Amino acid sequence: MTRTFTRLATHAAIAGLAAGAAMADGSDLTVFDWSGYEDPGFYGNYVETYGEGPSYSYFGDEDEAFAKLQSGFSADLSHPCSYVTQKWADAGLLQPIDTSRLDYWDDLLPGISSVDGIDFGGETWMVPFDWGNTGLIYRSDEFSSEEVSLQMLTDPAYKNKISLPGGALEAVTLGVLATGAQDSYPDLSEEEFQAVLDFLRDVHENVRFYWSDATQLDQALASGEVLMGWGWNQTEVNLISNGVPAEMMRDVEKGVVSWVCGYVHMQDSDVPDEQVYDMLNALTAPESGKYIIESWGYAHSNARAFDMADPELVEAYGYSDPDTFFAGSLFGVPLDPALERRLREEYERIKSGF
Amino acid sequence: MTLESDRSGVFLAMPATVYVGLLVAAPLGVLVMYSFWTQTYVDIDRTFTWENYRAAFSDPLVRQLLVRSVWMAGLVTLLTVLLAYPIAYFVAFRARRKMLWLLLITIPFWISYLLRVFAWKLILGFNGLLNSGLASLGLINEPLDFLLYNELAVIITLAHAWAPFAILPIYVSLQKIDRSLLEAATDLGCGKLGRFLRVTLPLTVPGIIASCLIIFIPTVGDYVTPALVGGSDGKMVANLIQVYFGSANNWPLGATLSLMTMVSVGAVAISFVALVRGAGKAIR
Repeated sequence: MTRTFTRLATHAAIAGLAAGAAMADGSDLTVFDWSGYEDPGFYGNYVETYGEGPSYSYFGDEDEAFAKLQSGFSADLSHPCSYVTQKWADAGLLQPIDTSRLDYWDDLLPGISSVDGIDFGGETWMVPFDWGNTGLIYRSDEFSSEEVSLQMLTDPAYKNKISLPGGALEAVTLGVLATGAQDSYPDLSEEEFQAVLDFLRDVHENVRFYWSDATQLDQALASGEVLMGWGWNQTEVNLISNGVPAEMMRDVEKGVVSWVCGYVHMQDSDVPDEQVYDMLNALTAPESGKYIIESWGYAHSNARAFDMADPELVEAYGYSDPDTFFAGSLFGVPLDPALERRLREEYERIKSGF
Repeated sequence: MTLESDRSGVFLAMPATVYVGLLVAAPLGVLVMYSFWTQTYVDIDRTFTWENYRAAFSDPLVRQLLVRSVWMAGLVTLLTVLLAYPIAYFVAFRARRKMLWLLLITIPFWISYLLRVFAWKLILGFNGLLNSGLASLGLINEPLDFLLYNELAVIITLAHAWAPFAILPIYVSLQKIDRSLLEAATDLGCGKLGRFLRVTLPLTVPGIIASCLIIFIPTVGDYVTPALVGGSDGKMVANLIQVYFGSANNWPLGATLSLMTMVSVGAVAISFVALVRGAGKAIR
């Protein structure tokens, strides 16, 4: 409630500011993004320079975004995650990032800018912006942190009490961790790949529904319709802030995934590069990071943001030690295209009970 | 004279022809073309091939979803028409304020289709209206979980959402019946049931056929309802088509599936009409 209020207040304040100083071309920049990221608090410096925010268009997931971009939709910036950037670049959708024009490149969390899918083919393709975990979120009033494990997902005792993501790339990491194939991921051998599919097939027996939108998972966990789900840390933050006893299994021995998403410069961008980099710099500024951490509970890529943010909130959301957050967790990285295609087709089959 | 009227007929039909040509025939042509191409990673290979059809025909998942879609749409059609007929009958023969009733029947259409589907999700959900109602009456201890995320939920939702499409054509055909025919039937000694079966029902067959087609054809390809309330057991073929055009990024196979669905729907619809016609002739 308080968070919503702060968000609204910031919206109002910045809208007022924008109306006051109307510099015409701020909205020429178009950003193709997940919904929710149009919050002006995320790019305050850009609004200060241009008097208004960029224009936003939205996608529900990266696959939808990819299909739309390939059929000719044009934007200046977009916001995919590290495991799809390779494919987007291969399709000729992206232009490389000139890191020398990024004011905060050196302030980014160590390790984050070298993740697969950000840096490949000798170029940098994405400016990391937000990151977090994908993991097993469970009702902490039903399970203790000691007993909970990925293997529980296949236990017939939890029939209809589990939700998995509908996206194949989200689900595969679960299968990889549960079958112990993390060392060879993403180059899975045929046996490992089949083992992953078999595991997901076993979990299917217990699945109540496959979530396509994180709030679906939030609501089902809150109502007790499902007791465990494979989801993003955003779900954990939402549940905790609504007083639902829920937790994400962050034990690296048992298996947790890290993800990094960020902004990419689109090939057919038609605003001056300067404006694009102004936006990228505004997004990665520590002030933006502080705002995101405090008001949204999301983790930001700028290391300085964590020093500026309210330490109590940083602690509460589990970001007090970003290094351990990454260490030992499995990073979502691009799969070999042929394997990815097989995975997607097989996962559709699994979801239909084959 | 005839030539003149022919020419003006062509002229009058032009806007519609161009419109249909551009918005129906052309996309359909593109779809047919795509179905003979192949997807290679991020590009399309434009060499002619039957591979997509071979893959789709030999795929048990495609077969299952196609059969299920036709089966579910058939059930929805049957259920909707059975429920709609008495309502239409009531409005046509018994109701005083017909306009008011028709208005009330179309009220669901004032709300977005998506919201109507969500409404059913709220009713059938785990903490939904039905479950909490039954729980507060002490009839159940644990919420029933067979209400949502299966075929049943899809059928209930679709039958409700499409009800007006069945009621209105049947109402119109009932309304058109010459009331003196009914009097004549009574005069000739027909009982109420006999009169209905031998006069009213045969005269409303065109309305019933129209309702069946109007409901069956769009529901076979319905995507939103199974996506929201269907879960994995209630999935239909449109959901698979969406996957191929979306996340699986294989437009050619998606196009093939779309065409296969269209052909199946067409075949079922044509055989249905032929069957009814044949039955009609046999009775006469």
